[in-house]
Amino acid sequence: MSISFEHVSHVYSAGTPYEYKALDDVSVTIEEGKITAVIGQTGSGKSTLVQHLNALLLPSEGTICILDRTIKAGEKPKKLKSLRKDVGLVFQFPEYQLFEETVIKDVAFGPKNFGATEEEAMAKAREALTLVGLGQDTFEKSPLELSGGQKRRAAIAGILAMNPSVLVLDEPTAGLDPLGTIQMMELFHSLNKKYQKTILIVTHDMEQVFSHCDNVVVVENGKIRMHAPVSEFFRDSSLCREMNILPPALIRMKDLLVQYGFEVPQEVQDIDGLAKVIARQVKHHG
Amino acid sequence: MGNITLGRYIPLDSPIHKMDPRAKIMAMLIMLVSIFLPAGWTGYGIIFAVTALTIILAKLSFSFIWKAMKPMLFMLVFLFVINALFLKTGTPLVTVGSFVLYSDAIFQTLYIAVRLLLMVMITTCLTATTKPLDMTLGIEDLLKPFTKIHVPAHEIAMLISIALRFIPDLIEETQRIMKAQESRGVDLQEGKLTERIAAILSLIVPLFVSAFQRAEDLANAMEARGYAPGEPRTRYKVLKLAGRDYILLGCTIAVQLCMIWLAFLR
Ligand SMILES: Nc1ncnc2c1ncn2[C@@H]1O[C@H](COP(=O)(O)OP(=O)(O)OP(=O)(O)O)[C@@H](O)[C@H]1O
Ligand SMILES: [Mg+2]
Repeated sequence: MSISFEHVSHVYSAGTPYEYKALDDVSVTIEEGKITAVIGQTGSGKSTLVQHLNALLLPSEGTICILDRTIKAGEKPKKLKSLRKDVGLVFQFPEYQLFEETVIKDVAFGPKNFGATEEEAMAKAREALTLVGLGQDTFEKSPLELSGGQKRRAAIAGILAMNPSVLVLDEPTAGLDPLGTIQMMELFHSLNKKYQKTILIVTHDMEQVFSHCDNVVVVENGKIRMHAPVSEFFRDSSLCREMNILPPALIRMKDLLVQYGFEVPQEVQDIDGLAKVIARQVKHHG
Repeated sequence: MGNITLGRYIPLDSPIHKMDPRAKIMAMLIMLVSIFLPAGWTGYGIIFAVTALTIILAKLSFSFIWKAMKPMLFMLVFLFVINALFLKTGTPLVTVGSFVLYSDAIFQTLYIAVRLLLMVMITTCLTATTKPLDMTLGIEDLLKPFTKIHVPAHEIAMLISIALRFIPDLIEETQRIMKAQESRGVDLQEGKLTERIAAILSLIVPLFVSAFQRAEDLANAMEARGYAPGEPRTRYKVLKLAGRDYILLGCTIAVQLCMIWLAFLR
């Protein structure tokens, strides 16, 4: 049971003048039971990478091992449906996929496709909707009547209701309000802690990476630039600066403090710890 | 879906690409008319040769044309079956039980196949070498004379250009929604009839919603920038016929005359 890419390349529109190599010889192993962040600039190939995980895109070259299945370039994959049940993928801007008359029916659509009975599916849908923070009053509304953020939540619930063991989220919080973003990230965090779900999150928000993720994969021009534990990645700001990434506020703050003559130990990784360090040293001076 | 080639613009650098869209549109219309003149196989040979030469000049590959033809093959097979069943003229060729295949069934199908191939080749010569925007400029200019009899030339051109502009977007959108629903276990290829219908609904409803949304956004954006149909407008790009355009038109008219002459000889 593992998730690994071996020498995977992906070419869009192969054999036409529009040919484009979006992934180039990617080899990476995703740790199970952990939250992995996938970061990189716009157009670097993050979405392309994660769509291979449930075989929506097939590799042009190379092999992908996911759970107990192998997807090889040039072979028609088997057992696709069960793979898609085990690996839930939430798309970038998933709100455009809603189509049923009511929100709850739409969320129940996934479980029903995977063989749940009507009642089971409805129960799962109710549970998932509550998890993502949508109240009873929205269940019977048409998805079109929801606000953008509510649609996003409903779409995420649609995947959670399938109860996949691997959860892949492509920029799930883009466009949500700050509080909604924090709630959503905390939900993913708790799903990981409570049920040991493997989670991949594509994101541009370094604060999320810093405070919720275990590992980080940096994609650059279709290649894996770096794969490291988050604690190592943000040990100081040098790695980030090297890759043109703005480090999280806490790391920037640590940098500035060191610059102004404070002594900040490496282990300090949260606001509380940092405040204590400052307080101690300031008192010392006074 | 991503491999649809019929009607797609291919950005290349060739003399055909540089030609004036008005000249190309006129040439295409003349050539299409000449296909329907009863000039026989010699005529088709000439049209084929001229069009093939244009394709080579435009640096297009023949596999591109073949890909554009592919979706029509199914239709041709269907046509052949119909012809084989109902066309009972010409000489009998094959007899299987009570079924007899006549030569006219084959000839009729072949005739249509050749015409279809020529039509695809000719239209591809235009669409693959002309940017959608240039195409609409050309159409607008060609329709200008008809504004006298109240044909809304500019509006028609604007409609066409917007439609063309949205085709790739809609294809992309369809693929995106397909992927999203496949992630939720939709199987668009297999399944019982009721499942199939649910699958198609899950595709069509979001597609319509987003298409209407886009249309509304575009209308608002155009209005916000002061667009009003029917007002006189100046143009950034002014079309001008050059020497090569006259050569193109001269050649097509020559082909056309040749077809008329061949048709009279028969
Ligand atoms: N269907 C497609 N056909 C052709 N090229 C594509 C297609 N989808 C993506 N690409 C190209 O592949 C590259 C990688 O795209 P991808 O969507 O994976 O980027 P991304 O890292 O997810 O970017 P973003 O942060 O904007 O979501 C881009 O240059 C894009 O233009
Ligand atoms: Mg993306």
